[in-house]
Amino acid sequence: MGILENKARARLFYKYLSKIYDQINPFIWNEEMRGEALGLLDIDAGDRVLDVGCGTGFGTAGLLQYTDDVHALDQSVHQMEKAWAKFGKHDTVRFYRGDAERLPFEDDAFDVLWSSGSIEYWPNPVTALAEFRRVTKPGGQVLVVGPNYPTNTLFQKVVDAIMLFYDADEADRMFSEAGFREFRHVTMGPSYSPNAAITTVAQVPE
Amino acid sequence: MKEDLMDIICCPLDKHDLDLEVDERDDGEILSGTLVCTECGESYPIEDGIPNLLPPDMRDEAPA
Repeated sequence: MGILENKARARLFYKYLSKIYDQINPFIWNEEMRGEALGLLDIDAGDRVLDVGCGTGFGTAGLLQYTDDVHALDQSVHQMEKAWAKFGKHDTVRFYRGDAERLPFEDDAFDVLWSSGSIEYWPNPVTALAEFRRVTKPGGQVLVVGPNYPTNTLFQKVVDAIMLFYDADEADRMFSEAGFREFRHVTMGPSYSPNAAITTVAQVPE
Repeated sequence: MKEDLMDIICCPLDKHDLDLEVDERDDGEILSGTLVCTECGESYPIEDGIPNLLPPDMRDEAPA
């Protein structure tokens, strides 16, 4: 288990990371990659969309290009304060504090669920993915962006110690265990590291 | 939070409905109050308009 897969540590880590996150984040997850991921989804105007682990609101901003009904959840206030600075606290986006593995939403509450750059911090990713399936309507889409497992062995040792990274095989296992039957993975990244992120788009079974 | 969110939120622990107790309201916005699970009785604060639906073991004051 990586050192951040303990929620108290993750909170502490984020308290400090949030101060610089939007400066360093574009190197691994930029607007181009966000646009590519959004292009994998069918979001109609008026669709109710949930952003799990919204953090500073980078993914949230992308979702707002497609629909006005965007809901965003994060465990950390320190991260969300950046998002509130962008969107207001009570205006465009409905914000919640909550846990990805124990979502505070009714079954089938959302048309689409998005989660970028959050899965690597969850202690039990399958539990969270099963929650995503539960709160998204049958036939709706769930999209998860996470860090792709590096091929360099030294880098593998580093990332294994810090957080969850996974490859397509591991993503297959996690999504299957969480009850999804139809899904595909796309790797994306900047030109110098084109496979830095793995994006999975899954359909909630009817 | 807007009151119509009551249609989609639930207790994160047992997924039962929540009751809303409003302390402070400004137009359509509930600024402070409490959400109480109709089944297990756990309560969740609304803080400056943001519902804090973290399970109790993850709240800031909870021991690590």
